[in-house]
Amino acid sequence: MSLSPVWQSLFAIVLMVVIGYGSRILGLLIMARIPLSPNTRLFIDAMSSSVLIAIITPIIVHGDGGTRFAALMAGAVAIILKSPLASIAVGIICAASWRWWFVT
Amino acid sequence: MMLPLAAFTVAFGLAFGVAAIHAGIARWEAMLMSVFVFAAPSQFAALELWTTPLPLLALAMTTMAIHTRHLLMSASLYPWLKPLPLPQRFAVIFMLTDSNWAMALGEYQRGERNIGILLGGGIALWAAWVIGTGIGLAFGGGIHQPERFGLDVIMLCFLLVIVIGGNPKVVMILPWLAAALSALLAYWWLPPYLHVMVGALTGGMVAILLPKRWYKAGVL
Repeated sequence: MSLSPVWQSLFAIVLMVVIGYGSRILGLLIMARIPLSPNTRLFIDAMSSSVLIAIITPIIVHGDGGTRFAALMAGAVAIILKSPLASIAVGIICAASWRWWFVT
Repeated sequence: MMLPLAAFTVAFGLAFGVAAIHAGIARWEAMLMSVFVFAAPSQFAALELWTTPLPLLALAMTTMAIHTRHLLMSASLYPWLKPLPLPQRFAVIFMLTDSNWAMALGEYQRGERNIGILLGGGIALWAAWVIGTGIGLAFGGGIHQPERFGLDVIMLCFLLVIVIGGNPKVVMILPWLAAALSALLAYWWLPPYLHVMVGALTGGMVAILLPKRWYKAGVL
């Protein structure tokens, strides 16, 4: 199979699109077949926030000081001010200044 | 709330454009990805694999692993989307990304039922993402270390805010601890990107195993 590079790229992108949208639709299709008992509901609710926890944890554990500092401060701002915008802005500023001072 | 997020998405798309240039992928390829794939994490991952000839199998596996979380996300929205007619359901689900899902979930848990957040938010984010990529591709040669400006923590901070800004219940401490721990273990010892799936399922399992009276009491 020797496709030209252009066709290879196009094929790869189409592959990514199909998998991407396929997974989004599959979630709905699977749920359409599972009855929504209180337990299912509980599972889904806990699972959805756990997705975020699972994405965040390794980033923080393996991140540099700037990443951890940003997470800490953004978290604190989120709890106190409840403002996503302020929180993300503080996170970016913290990460940038940490690296400005401590990374040469 | 959507507007600042869209602004950040422009920055995020810009970061992708810059990264794409430095990864040596053609500008039209990067642009095509942003327009049609519209999924930052898998696009960033694809950059790492973009060699000639393309490792299509590895690319497919990686994309699939990354997108398992979209499967979980769309599943979690099912109770909400259920009353909608089928075409609307699909329109909404096409525009599903981490950010508008997380935002919609926050609204959902507060008792809101506004689908517009998901669809409108998705369209705004898509436009921002494509514009950002364009800017990044056009001027990306100039920025060498996006992390020096703290641009790499945008996604992290955003997800963090969604988790702890949405009035978390004390009863969730155990499921979340289990999710964090299992995700970390999977991150260390399982193939890449499976940790999200493992963490999510563990969190859900622990939640249904807890005594039901804990939920009624509202305390742990």
